[in-house]
Amino acid sequence: MIVRAVLVLSAVVAGPAAADDGSILFETCRACHSLDPAVKVMAGPNLAGLIGRKVAGDPNFDYSPVLRSARDEGRVWTPEALEAFIADPEAVFPGTWMSRVPLANPADRQALVRFITDPASR
Amino acid sequence: MNRRQFLCTSAAGVLAAPAFIRHAAAAEGNNGFRVRYFPVPEAQRSRDVTACSDGVTMWFNCQGNGKLGRLDPRDGSYRLIDLGPGSAPHGVILGPDGAAWVTDGGQNAIARVDNDHKVTLFKLPFKDYANLNTAVFDKTGIYWFTGQSGYHGRLDPKSGDMQVWKSPGGHGSYGMTVTPKGDVWYASLAGNHIAQIDLKTGDARIVEPMIPKQGARRVWSDSKGRIWVSEWNSGYVSVHDPADGSWRVWRLPGERPRTYSVYVDKKDKVWLTDFGGNAIVRFDPVTEQFNVFPSDKPNANVRQMDGKPGQAWGGESGTNRLIMIETLQPPA
Repeated sequence: MIVRAVLVLSAVVAGPAAADDGSILFETCRACHSLDPAVKVMAGPNLAGLIGRKVAGDPNFDYSPVLRSARDEGRVWTPEALEAFIADPEAVFPGTWMSRVPLANPADRQALVRFITDPASR
Repeated sequence: MNRRQFLCTSAAGVLAAPAFIRHAAAAEGNNGFRVRYFPVPEAQRSRDVTACSDGVTMWFNCQGNGKLGRLDPRDGSYRLIDLGPGSAPHGVILGPDGAAWVTDGGQNAIARVDNDHKVTLFKLPFKDYANLNTAVFDKTGIYWFTGQSGYHGRLDPKSGDMQVWKSPGGHGSYGMTVTPKGDVWYASLAGNHIAQIDLKTGDARIVEPMIPKQGARRVWSDSKGRIWVSEWNSGYVSVHDPADGSWRVWRLPGERPRTYSVYVDKKDKVWLTDFGGNAIVRFDPVTEQFNVFPSDKPNANVRQMDGKPGQAWGGESGTNRLIMIETLQPPA
């Protein structure tokens, strides 16, 4: 199957993500994650209903040992924990399989967390 | 369906084509190889590596602190080169000009670093975050790259002209390889396919692997132009022969393999990294046997490999070390 690729022109592409636009920031995450609970197999776990869920709580995903240990310790995702994890995954869970997302601006990280955690923001 | 069920289903599915399925045995021991580690503690999240043009030193990326490293394996010394504010380098390859070429996701740019460590940036021609991933040079010297947000593109290093396309199937464009003939292929992790790029138009010809939802992450061509694929979701390694359209697959050893990267050396031996087994795995397509090299530290997380004759290299992103596995020559 040959698919015609769409040439991206600078004039028609959206500008930089605003700090309050979590939907644009989440585009980075979509390569590995989904917020649609019906999506079962991706490179990373499903993020639907993440807040309040146990760490390593997607039953369809085979997590790294460090995330499984955190689950066994009863750790739970909070907005604060998620923001810290996005800022530096390895610092929060050394040995995690997730790569760092280069979001240096705290406002961007907070917008992304709001988008992930609050369905009303989508 | 959980992952274990998925794997069982997948395995059952592919077992329906027994001529192509191989569950290779682990080879007896690792005699004939020597493993060396090189600590690079100031290099946060050391990851992709490639050999320098001097034939001795090794380039390596530090995704966590925006540096390109250069290791001298003769004494273990290294230095770090600052790539710029916000840098988060992912891939590094050696260019035909002898420089290192870096896909820098943090700066949304391609960085060229010469042997005097001068850095030149080629910014993407738009502001969307492409999440730049991996690159190759084709036979004419054009630099081709992927962005995990669902892009592939080309840069002419001489003119600086750059074109970027949205990859078919959306997000996921990841590893990339060039065949001896000069064909360019990439893997789509989220798209669960590999694709060949038409070098004139930028269009992509999608090829579906045998195992559904396999998570094709990285690709590497062997000397015959066959495309080897590391399958993250399935834990398999597969190979596609564009000459006849065939596929073959093998499951990596261990209870729950996660195949992250693939590199094929000059002797067509296939080097894989397995996060589930915390190991580098060498696969011999002739004997269909695996050699497993577990790291001596937990959570090594080697995300890419490359090498030079007789040496396979990787960066342990979880331990901030480089690893070199040397294939020893049998005594005469």
